[in-house]
Amino acid sequence: MIPRFVLGVALAAVMVVVGTFSYIYLGSKQSKIAAPPEKPTVSSPRAQSLVLPGTLYLTQSGALYDLAAGRFHQLTGEEGWTQPSATPDGNSLLAVRQNALFSDVYVLNRFGRVQRQVTDNASHQRFQDIGYNYWSFYPRLSPDGQTLWMTYDGLKCHPECFDVSLAVWAMPFNGNIRQAHAWTDGGYYTGGDVQPIPIAGGVMYTKYSYGPDGKLVGQLWFTGRAGSFGRPLTDPSVDCRSPSVSPDGNQFAMVCTYEKQVSYLTIATWSGETIGPLKSIITNQLVAQPTWAPDGSGIAYLAPGAPAGPFQLWWLPKAAYAPPPPSPSPSPTPGGPHNGPLPSPSPIPAAPAVKPIQVTTNNGFDATSPMLWLG
Amino acid sequence: MSAVAGGLAYFIPAAQLAIESTGKVLQVTPSPSMLFSPSPSSSAAATVAPISGAFTVLLLGSDDDSKFIGDHVLTQSMILVRVVPSTKQVTMLSIPRDLYVHLSTGGSAKIDGAYSYGGPGAAVATVEQDFNVHIDDFIWIGLLGLVKLIDAIGGIDVVTSNPVFDDYYPADIYSNWPYDYERVAVFAGPQHLDGLHAMQYVRSRHGDLQSDIGRSQRQQQVLIAIRQKARQLSPEDLPALSAALGGELKTSMGLGKVAQLLPLASSFDNPDSINQIILANPYTHGCGCPETYLTANWGLILPLVHQYFP
Repeated sequence: MIPRFVLGVALAAVMVVVGTFSYIYLGSKQSKIAAPPEKPTVSSPRAQSLVLPGTLYLTQSGALYDLAAGRFHQLTGEEGWTQPSATPDGNSLLAVRQNALFSDVYVLNRFGRVQRQVTDNASHQRFQDIGYNYWSFYPRLSPDGQTLWMTYDGLKCHPECFDVSLAVWAMPFNGNIRQAHAWTDGGYYTGGDVQPIPIAGGVMYTKYSYGPDGKLVGQLWFTGRAGSFGRPLTDPSVDCRSPSVSPDGNQFAMVCTYEKQVSYLTIATWSGETIGPLKSIITNQLVAQPTWAPDGSGIAYLAPGAPAGPFQLWWLPKAAYAPPPPSPSPSPTPGGPHNGPLPSPSPIPAAPAVKPIQVTTNNGFDATSPMLWLG
Repeated sequence: MSAVAGGLAYFIPAAQLAIESTGKVLQVTPSPSMLFSPSPSSSAAATVAPISGAFTVLLLGSDDDSKFIGDHVLTQSMILVRVVPSTKQVTMLSIPRDLYVHLSTGGSAKIDGAYSYGGPGAAVATVEQDFNVHIDDFIWIGLLGLVKLIDAIGGIDVVTSNPVFDDYYPADIYSNWPYDYERVAVFAGPQHLDGLHAMQYVRSRHGDLQSDIGRSQRQQQVLIAIRQKARQLSPEDLPALSAALGGELKTSMGLGKVAQLLPLASSFDNPDSINQIILANPYTHGCGCPETYLTANWGLILPLVHQYFP
């Protein structure tokens, strides 16, 4: 016979346990959508995933990371680092360090150690007017390593107006910001000209301007001379941005949105003067920052791993957008052993569609920062 | 029974928010030209019929920092939303905050001041009388509430249509001095935005030639992105969401109607079924006045409103 007291205590204990369990159980059923992204170094690409060639540089939460031989390494602290590029010899990195008031271009070694500050965009005014600070973004070096290209708000009309449209500027890499000069005018209340890429004969960039429908759209432009008007390479209605040059210089990848909340990974040939027809190779993901592999074996890009989630690293093998030509089917040899009627040809099996591969799962890479891929 | 108790304890924050924030009875300041009368659905005590017919909600967004006293805030964002459940059509019409209108409380001023003079009832009544629409309910959210809401759902994916640079963005959310400024740089293109950066994207207007009109377009983009992300929420997420929104959300909807809307919202899965309307030129135009008023071309606006908000 169990004493009533013991039974009561036992029942109370069971109630506490069950109540607590149901509370914890409900908590465990929360969706994971609000879970913060993991640092790339916490979970490197899965063991079975492919190892991308060379070294890929990306940013997350203001820190620079590299991905080499299947492992991520954190190069800097979470200190506002973004938009890495490289010197032509590949021995040093350029990157932007941004804070709440200004941003500057720095040279770092490949391990993330700062070697020198290139621009000086902090206000040196005695009075506190934050409009005297400046932004420098998207640094790129010319192939000879002598000229630094970037976007910069040095033309803004402060304090007469509020426009802070950026323009494409060039400056001696070993000079200072006072030696910089504007190549484009950046427009008027549009956001301006960004993402310059020095190529043979000039510079390609993304210009934001008002399209025929009155909406702000992105277009790829090219200009060969400082101060010249330049010329558009893409149509306003296609709304393209984020150009990336293939290793052989004959193709461009870009992101086009058609003025909607979608983005298509698009490629086109480049003759040095004009671009060929646009070809969308990914249309069902929110793609950003396409970057060609240095050996031409494919394109890496950023896209959400789950619907409306943070951006992950994806890889699209070359076969997905440039499939090898089909091998010729064997033709019967005249006078061969088979002299009867020709058999009906068996259907050639369709080549399996090559799909993009998701390389990371729980990260949150900065989709506004171009990636850098070195061989 | 103890399992039920555990479950109830889990949902206490959500229930608390629901009780505090929903079912706000619209108290409307009388106005001679006022067309508004509180609808039965605006009362928490009212019996909620199944949602089968179309309904219209006025979304209101305010900066509610320490610059303002109590509930006397301006509505920086006013969006009329009409939902037709049978066809799964949604129409969003952004009302420029600088639109010069007759207020339901009397006199004329920018429409963003209606709320500050008479609370949500005055804002609803002003929109009803000037735009000749019937509004079933309102939802008001404070700036900090929007930031917290977006963070609570893990951020949103948006294709920002253009770079947004602003040298004089109000630093009034986390600053000790609400009249301070900060510089803002939101890049263009597909990206994942946390609450703070989403707020910067929808709130900045100094760098936009279309000012409030351009900002309205961005607000609609973010609203659609929030809806897209919210489809992945489960009922177990409600306590965390409630904790995030505490004090930053008010609505005239009763609890029953909110419960009916949740599954309805998740069934709207076609982005093309969302009409987005911005009252840019020629519907509105600057008046050339010293103040930054926008004057309405009612001859164009009212037929448009009648078409989409019959």
